[in-house]
Amino acid sequence: MLFWQRPLLALFVFGCALANLLHAEELLPADATIEAAVDHYITARQKALSVEPAPLADDANLLRRTLLDMHGRPPTAAEVKAYQQNNDPAKRRELVERLMASPAFAREQAAAFNALLMNGTNASLRSYLTEAFRENRSWDRIFRELLVGQEKDEEQKGAINFVKARLKDHDKLTAEASSLLFGVNVSCAQCHDHPLVADWKQDHYFGMKSFFVRSFENGEMMGEKSYGQVDFKTTAGESKQAKLMFLTGQVFDEPENKEPDDKAKKEEKEQLEKLKKDKKAPSPPEYSRRAKLVEIALSPEANSFLTRSIVNHVWNRLLGRGLVMPVDQMHSENPASHPELLSWLARDLQTHNYDLARLTRGILLSDTYARSSRWESAAKRPSDELFALGLVRPLTPWQYGTTLKVAMVNPDQYAAELAGDALDNKMQGLESAGRSFTEKLELPGPDFQVSIDEALSFSNASRTSQELLRIDGGTLLGKLKDIADDKEAATTAVWNIFGRAPADEELQSLEQYLKARADRREQALQQMVWALLTSSECRFNY
Amino acid sequence: MSENSGSWSRRGFLGASAAGAAVAADMTGLNVLQNPVLASELKQQGKRVILLWLAGGASQLETFDPKPGRSTGGPFRAIKTSVPGVEISELMPKMATRLSKYTTIIRSLDTKNADHGGAARLMHLGRRDEPTVKYPDLGAVLARELGRVDSQVPDYVSFYTATEGRGSAVSQSGFLGARYNAMFLTEGNVPPNLRKLDEISDLDHQQRGELRDLLSKRFAAGRQSASLGSHNESYARVRGLMASEQLFDISKEPQSIRDKYGPTLFGEQCLVARRLVEAGVPFVKISRAWWDSHGQNFETHLELVTELDNVMSALLDDLSERGLLENTLVVTLSEFGRTPSINSSLGRDHFASAWSSSLSGCGVKAGSVYGASDDDGREVKDGKIGAAELFATIYRAVGIDHRKDYHIGARPIPLTDPGTKHVAEVLS
Repeated sequence: MLFWQRPLLALFVFGCALANLLHAEELLPADATIEAAVDHYITARQKALSVEPAPLADDANLLRRTLLDMHGRPPTAAEVKAYQQNNDPAKRRELVERLMASPAFAREQAAAFNALLMNGTNASLRSYLTEAFRENRSWDRIFRELLVGQEKDEEQKGAINFVKARLKDHDKLTAEASSLLFGVNVSCAQCHDHPLVADWKQDHYFGMKSFFVRSFENGEMMGEKSYGQVDFKTTAGESKQAKLMFLTGQVFDEPENKEPDDKAKKEEKEQLEKLKKDKKAPSPPEYSRRAKLVEIALSPEANSFLTRSIVNHVWNRLLGRGLVMPVDQMHSENPASHPELLSWLARDLQTHNYDLARLTRGILLSDTYARSSRWESAAKRPSDELFALGLVRPLTPWQYGTTLKVAMVNPDQYAAELAGDALDNKMQGLESAGRSFTEKLELPGPDFQVSIDEALSFSNASRTSQELLRIDGGTLLGKLKDIADDKEAATTAVWNIFGRAPADEELQSLEQYLKARADRREQALQQMVWALLTSSECRFNY
Repeated sequence: MSENSGSWSRRGFLGASAAGAAVAADMTGLNVLQNPVLASELKQQGKRVILLWLAGGASQLETFDPKPGRSTGGPFRAIKTSVPGVEISELMPKMATRLSKYTTIIRSLDTKNADHGGAARLMHLGRRDEPTVKYPDLGAVLARELGRVDSQVPDYVSFYTATEGRGSAVSQSGFLGARYNAMFLTEGNVPPNLRKLDEISDLDHQQRGELRDLLSKRFAAGRQSASLGSHNESYARVRGLMASEQLFDISKEPQSIRDKYGPTLFGEQCLVARRLVEAGVPFVKISRAWWDSHGQNFETHLELVTELDNVMSALLDDLSERGLLENTLVVTLSEFGRTPSINSSLGRDHFASAWSSSLSGCGVKAGSVYGASDDDGREVKDGKIGAAELFATIYRAVGIDHRKDYHIGARPIPLTDPGTKHVAEVLS
């Protein structure tokens, strides 16, 4: 088991006290807009530390960032140019509203949340989540369906994979459910009371495990028994039966449950075997502990765990860093970088029916979201947690795949009239193709590193040259081949792949590269395009 | 993630040397040896590990811990070795004559887990899984500790050609990050994507990379992120790694050397391993499958142990003759051993209560034997250790303090579980 360093304890306790001091009596009014609240709190801390934030990113940059976050793809050159030429002061709001109304928004959210919730398992929530986000289902409802969703119900179908995929190991299920849904990793308390976090005792860990311990796999189905307890040994060696306890420390009584005798157990076993054969789900218990967990987690006394955790996840996804880091260490001794903002956003989410689209829109419309990721000021670069500039974020595997595919389409195919459903259909096709292209890449987490396999594969795999760098009428390279002028060819390539105008010195290098290879122009074009596709600008959201 | 080694981290040192001219080439001009932390770090420089992974569970009774004359002993005899009083299975005559020169045997592993999947994880990670930390495996840790950040050769090469048990042979860099992922070979002896396609000339391949670098540098100006750095680091290593392709080509070896290793795939891969460590690759793993002899245990071991004896002794001789063995540790390990009881199919089943491993070369006290099982081999009689102690011993043998911490954020993650002791008796 892991040990925590004592000196850190003092530091954290100090940090905690500081956080409480900072916690103003009054939050901003509830009727402020989310974007105003975000900018208010973020700016206040920057001001307190005399940090001047980076300017807002330019149109091309911000459009790319927003599209990647909302639809998982970069803009086409035509979209960038149209956005740049639009002089409407409300164009950003319109953009966000338009992107939100598209089915691509549900798909990207589903992909992102599926990666968050199911990474490391063999199951997927993507089709369930795509449907749920398409109708903007509230987070409290999604949460409920993840834990107690019924397979027979069309709307809830597949949601229970969240539990089912982890049933082989109740400790894993307990630790991951509480980390992912409540932002609290209690697994250290499995072997001893948490030495650093006064909030968490062994009782909490085993109390949480008690909610899951009666759930079991039965063939392809899952069931929940009406009996079964968690026994554990305390660090003092005492044997203890866990009480049903939530993270708040509240203990819950439940109807008395008697362990059945051997005969009844045998009958039960036979019955389960038969159900397994018939591929039928065991009947649910009269009293379900998982249903009890849902009820408690949504109650006013306890719902701050769920709410603060989801706010932190959404913030982390859009800003590249949570208000609390790590995202599974949301406890009293690891305060948020902006505690009032987290509280304000959590309150706002609760009073607006756990509407994640609303939260997402608010964050996307803030100036904080829109800052340039380049630090050009003479002042010292501020630390990431001040959100004074945009953070550079690696694309997810599916985003990078889509980005490559979108960039490699002949720009003539993105005609101005291609919009709405037609555009979305085209993009959905590219998303699928992109997924298969980059499926082996690793999902980025904190401190993500790009592997050498990725670099080697893009450098030397035949698939890269045959699929990605194909020259035909439908591809960018097919278009470039027909452009006689090197400068024009380079300009077109940069627009298509980076979604912006090339800088002079870039253009010079590219032109020079092509010119030196006039005897093998097609190869030269492929090589130039390769260099653009594999450069960091294409690999990251910035 | 960071290293907890005060102001002088290995990375810091290498970083400084990269920035400040060819420091590594001439250490004498520096006062760094007086810094104790750095001195210990220098001790591990140039150290290598080759792991021979005997997948499925090799029998300790037919290798390093025979029980002749007992009901559990099986048909094979025990033979004398070059170490007085120490006997091993007659299936290992070549290793028997080399024991006193190269090798120490540990006969007292009790690792509790006799399920292929869980046990293989345990013996790759050196500890039990914890739900929310993804631990690096032995190879990733050694790649990180013994490799060079700016290395032109791979840090971690893993061969697993057979399909049996491959899924259990954990290969994960965990919280150390993808920089330390294995170059994992499942087909043939040459890694994929190390060779450029014919359609591009070598010069264009190189200059295309330079153009990429130019564009990326322009993008990275004023932007800071560890991920961004790793992206460009990975591409910067491509050409160097491609140059290491010839290391995988054993046709470059004289026939006399190839004959010693023998014509089997395992033999050839061990020869590749020697070429790799010679070129500075810190960790190579060769997996040989499938030792899971629930039936016909003795036929299986006759074949596999004979091959192991031949290849392992060729490898050790070769390393020794080249002066590499003093810096190279060769380990034999499985997920578990096999039951002393012989079942009705003349097989032996999974057994984790009293089994063996061997360490040869770098840092070990050649000819020593640690621990003992009881007369029938059913339990450890003396010197019981688990996976953690074995890992600590491997780390120590190559100069790594097994008590050091990594950090994930503020959270310290010790290299081995706290309180773990290494087996000092087998180290020189």
